[in-house]
Amino acid sequence: MRRIEALAHLVELTEHDPLVVTCAATSRELASLADRDNHLYLLDSMGLVGSVATGLAIAVDGSDVRKVIGIEGDGSLLMNPNVLPTGGYLAPDRLLMVLLDNRVYGSTAGLPTYADRVDLGALAAASGWTVGTADDEASLRAEFARLAETPGPALLHVRIEAGNAADIAKLLVDPVSITLRFTAWLTARLPRPAA
Amino acid sequence: MGTRTYAQAAAAGIWASGAKHVGYIPSVTVAPVIQALVETDGGRDGVSEHVTPLSREEEAVGVLGALPLAGSFGAVVMQDNGFGNNLTALTTFSVSYHLPLLIVANTRGSLGEYNSMIHSISQHVPPILRTLGIPVVELDRRSSVDDWHDVIAEAGTHAVMTYRPVVVLASFWNTDGKVA
Repeated sequence: MRRIEALAHLVELTEHDPLVVTCAATSRELASLADRDNHLYLLDSMGLVGSVATGLAIAVDGSDVRKVIGIEGDGSLLMNPNVLPTGGYLAPDRLLMVLLDNRVYGSTAGLPTYADRVDLGALAAASGWTVGTADDEASLRAEFARLAETPGPALLHVRIEAGNAADIAKLLVDPVSITLRFTAWLTARLPRPAA
Repeated sequence: MGTRTYAQAAAAGIWASGAKHVGYIPSVTVAPVIQALVETDGGRDGVSEHVTPLSREEEAVGVLGALPLAGSFGAVVMQDNGFGNNLTALTTFSVSYHLPLLIVANTRGSLGEYNSMIHSISQHVPPILRTLGIPVVELDRRSSVDDWHDVIAEAGTHAVMTYRPVVVLASFWNTDGKVA
């Protein structure tokens, strides 16, 4: 399964969920498939998806938001692996990270990450996350559905092929426009000022 | 008001700023601030419902800096040498996305510092932050306890009103606190 194929399924599965997306190729490919108000593209904050998603998951506690979804890559997660012990420790109910693991830095010349030798899903499990794995479209959809209903921090570890989709436009937008759009979308779904 | 410590005033100022959640990276200097935050939030042993420990300064920017996206507001308590860890997160996330965040950091770069290395980063923190366009407010022994409270509270308001992170650098030297 290629990244853009995995993202196409995630687009279908997350129409009503806040979605925090890692930078470069992943954000571009997602936006090429669907550019929605619930998408928070982190255009250059490498490694921060899990932290931002954790903060949002804390903030939406008590609301009707079922999960804050983070879409992260293996290279980006390895830039801030603290996400895993911190998420496990704080244990927000509504946190779900989808790890698209292609074992390379896909936006950085395809150089290898540690993921070929280090099982990032096992690291998450050791940190207290509920972990599911997927390596095809059917298991991605099934495990996403299961983890979306599982309280506490959950990580869906998706093995994908290396390589980026061709001819995808860069995402050249002012980050403030993302803030305004995403915040309006999310706060409209929160019944009260969030904690 | 006259009997509280500088640390207690700082903690009260953080709550008065409107912060709904506080994340901290431990240091011995801010430990009394954290203790006061936790106690006033009904917790103990460094943890309460709205005060949580974090392991590194960049993730603190991600976790607490995200709250305005949900209509909330957060604060970070840390030590100034940790800005070496979180400048990329501060600039590419909080600054670029116009997200308010209050950061209260104790200083290790000047009077009272015993460590012969830490000032190498800490003494340069104010100009580094100002170069990046991040407002810095500095507090030290010359201000009263009540002034620390008011400045920190207003720094949070300033962050919210200007949609950006605001940093308060607090030197505990020659106050009732300790440098390290």
